[in-house]
Amino acid sequence: MKFTFRPSPNARNTQSTKGIMFELTLGLLAVFLFALAFYYVEYGMSYVIHALSLMATSVLVAAITEVLWCVFLKKDIKKHLSSSFPIVTSTILVLMVPISTTLYAMAFGSFFAIFFAKLLFGGFGHNIFNPAAAGRAAMLTSFAAAVTVDMTTGPTPISSIANLGWIVTDQTVLGELLAQFGGLQGLLLGWYPGALGETSALLILVIGIYLGYRKVLDWRVPVFYIGTVFALASVIALVRGLGIWYPMYHILAGGLMFGAVFMLTDPVTNPTSAAGRMIFAIGCGIITVLIRVQANLPGGVLYSILIMNMFTPTIERLTDGWQIKKAKSYAISIGTLSLTGIVLFVFIANIMIPVVPKEPEPEVPVITLGDPIGIFSPATSTATPELTNTVTDGNVVTYTVSSKGYAILEGGYEGAKPNVFEIKIDTAANKIVSVKFITFSDTKGIGDKVESAIFLDQFKDLSIDDEAISVDSVSGATITSVSAARAVRFAIETWKGE
Amino acid sequence: MSMWIGPMKKHVEGHKELTNYNEIVRLTAPKLVYIPIFNFNSTSFELFVKEGDRVLVNTKLAVRNDNMTVPLFSPVSGTIKGIQKVMHGLLKPLDHFVIENDGLYEKTEAFAPLNWQEATRQELIDFMMNAGIVGCGGAGFPTYIKYKFAKNVETLLINGVECEPYITADYRMIEENIQDLMIGTQAMLKAADGKKAMIAVKETKKELLVKLKEAAASYPSIEIKAVPDMYPMGWERTLVYQIFKKRYNKLPGEVGVVVNNATTAIAFAHALKGQPIIEKMITVSGDGIARPANVLVPVGMKAADIVEQLGGYTADEISCIAGGPMMGKTITNDQFVTTPYTNAITILKTRPIDAIECLRCGRCNDTCPAGLLPVRINNAEKAKNMDMIEKLNVNDCIECGLCTYVCPSKLDVTEGVRRAKRILALKK
Ligand code: SF4
Ligand code: SF4
Repeated sequence: MKFTFRPSPNARNTQSTKGIMFELTLGLLAVFLFALAFYYVEYGMSYVIHALSLMATSVLVAAITEVLWCVFLKKDIKKHLSSSFPIVTSTILVLMVPISTTLYAMAFGSFFAIFFAKLLFGGFGHNIFNPAAAGRAAMLTSFAAAVTVDMTTGPTPISSIANLGWIVTDQTVLGELLAQFGGLQGLLLGWYPGALGETSALLILVIGIYLGYRKVLDWRVPVFYIGTVFALASVIALVRGLGIWYPMYHILAGGLMFGAVFMLTDPVTNPTSAAGRMIFAIGCGIITVLIRVQANLPGGVLYSILIMNMFTPTIERLTDGWQIKKAKSYAISIGTLSLTGIVLFVFIANIMIPVVPKEPEPEVPVITLGDPIGIFSPATSTATPELTNTVTDGNVVTYTVSSKGYAILEGGYEGAKPNVFEIKIDTAANKIVSVKFITFSDTKGIGDKVESAIFLDQFKDLSIDDEAISVDSVSGATITSVSAARAVRFAIETWKGE
Repeated sequence: MSMWIGPMKKHVEGHKELTNYNEIVRLTAPKLVYIPIFNFNSTSFELFVKEGDRVLVNTKLAVRNDNMTVPLFSPVSGTIKGIQKVMHGLLKPLDHFVIENDGLYEKTEAFAPLNWQEATRQELIDFMMNAGIVGCGGAGFPTYIKYKFAKNVETLLINGVECEPYITADYRMIEENIQDLMIGTQAMLKAADGKKAMIAVKETKKELLVKLKEAAASYPSIEIKAVPDMYPMGWERTLVYQIFKKRYNKLPGEVGVVVNNATTAIAFAHALKGQPIIEKMITVSGDGIARPANVLVPVGMKAADIVEQLGGYTADEISCIAGGPMMGKTITNDQFVTTPYTNAITILKTRPIDAIECLRCGRCNDTCPAGLLPVRINNAEKAKNMDMIEKLNVNDCIECGLCTYVCPSKLDVTEGVRRAKRILALKK
């Protein structure tokens, strides 16, 4: 008979940290599945494959980093892996990035999160910053963010409202803003492109309620966080006469729900007392709205978490003591913090300026010149142009010439019109003064490059006595270029023939 | 409170079905019984018998003679074999009388019975003292002290909650002695000079509640109160807060409440008939014992003898706990004996526990019934930060074990708090 000794108590609750992390991972995977479904339906299989590759990259890099760490420090790999939970961090990280992220950037983020934000701090339980948030921030600020995979997605709710200065008073602008995402219901359902796992507020909310019920996370954190953001956005809405849509938009957009349920609740980087966690959540809420409306930066949720992580030790010290005695001071701190937030946002609301959405600047086409066209080459001898007008002014003769271009020669559709040019010739110096487009009839976006000065200026000062003169055609618009050369030849020949 | 602090309690898996409905087993007293010469931190006793003396059932063996008076009685008839150091259930070796049981159970009168209805308050308190009534809830604190200093008592709270897992002895004791419980309660109410009495039982004990309410119907001053099945609902502070929503500094008397265990009230009723506490109902349970049961045993019986009569152990490696699994001490042998305040022996198969890093989840902080911050205390202890340990009010810890129980990382949080207490005590 062997009597084992163990300090009391000898009863243990069944819930374990491993179990908690497992349930959390299941919750995250449910969100990921939703993202896969969305990209499959809306964009097709290649997007799904890319999303899966991102997930595989992140998880693998995280696992490999941990394994190498063990090898390097001669730790028991199995034991370390089973109590370090790299899968949670790496999965959260994937859900925070847009589909256009490169695998390379993903690997970098995952490595950063695990190595710098967790292992270097002493591993699981000792890290100060939320590893996933740190990894995402690293990806956003590093070179990696500049490179994206060519997978188009639309504007996000956050970038859209940020372009409007976070305040919309014009009803038409508001209508357009909401319509992009199918209204508030659309934002709630999250069937729009964005960060992989951050769009469906509803799904995340349901999972959050379940995890809260299972005691996987402390309900206080998401409730107070979302509550704070809602309240502060309501303050702005009240001061500026915006509708209820405004606070709703704040809590539904930009991964706020995801942050509230999956990131803020990371126990390791939270204060350990209930009151402390409430202060933490309220602080995050204030900073999130502040970053959004004042700094106009993306990632308000992300940075608010990292900032509040720095305050975790301070909050711990603040709440240390005998909780029963301190209950009143907890209530006072929390009340003061909330009140400060509200007063702050009454001021901020008054200085916010709506931005009038600008018409997008027209794109300047890129023009490159290609093969030369001889003005008197055989190409210009066909399709004889017509002279429509002649004006003589001293030594300068101005011809208006209509010359068949792409629309007529190649387009072949009914009602196609020729291009019309105006050519000035200096009859004393026997030189071309200038060539100009009067009417352009060829394909917009291609042929109109010929209107550019880069092309037309080549004609200036060409001698009308030289049979070898030539200009370089515009790449991709050869036929239109030739129509110009033909018009010039016609003008020269007309002058000489007169 | 639960908003800022957390629930400060938790439902704990009870395993009560192991012994709830089994028959109560009366165990035969062994050849040798061991009576600890000890009461609530004190070993200062005047001895009335010496080696070779013959004693009878109820013979007064000794009496505590420092600032409190607590007599010890013999549970058997036989011969005093001497005084021996034996491991006590509180995890320290103590002097015990060794009595050789002659199996005759010849009786003497311990003290004269008392008619409580005619007795004055002072007579009742003195009687309580001379009958050796101690708190049967685990600590063995002399009961009369509470009544001696009771002032302005609104409510006498009779605690029948029994929140420790596995233990059902109180429950069975109450069920078997409902009338005595009513008598003991009334007598105590008189001793406390209180206005009314309240008997608190867990709301999950539906049948018992019905029986108690029936019995209490004829006593207008007794009210039956159902409380939630939470741990440590049986702790005075938690219970008083649950019922009265009041907190106090040192003693429940500050809020007009005196709290006594239900089994103590029953023991008092028995004493009024002339019967001292020489026999105890205790729960022997857990997955490490062949036949879990509630047993009636004489005070002074060794755990090994009890286990033997219940079919022995079920595994080669077990933990033997004097008391319930939450607050009971693990003893590395089975030689300790039952006392008037023993209520259970829990025997559990040894299971591996693999602890990992603290998740910093705060569950320990949220559930600590004393409102402490156990994880912060553990951190301060690791850093040997005395000021911090003191600031964290570590001495209010009752070692209820809840912080270890809830810890998902399976850390020995309670033990860390104990260490903090110890180093703080050393410094002073
Ligand atoms: S053992 Fe002490 S510190 Fe731990 S929960 Fe109980 S009272 Fe609190
Ligand atoms: S319950 Fe355990 S893991 Fe959670 S904070 Fe307390 S000691 Fe840490």
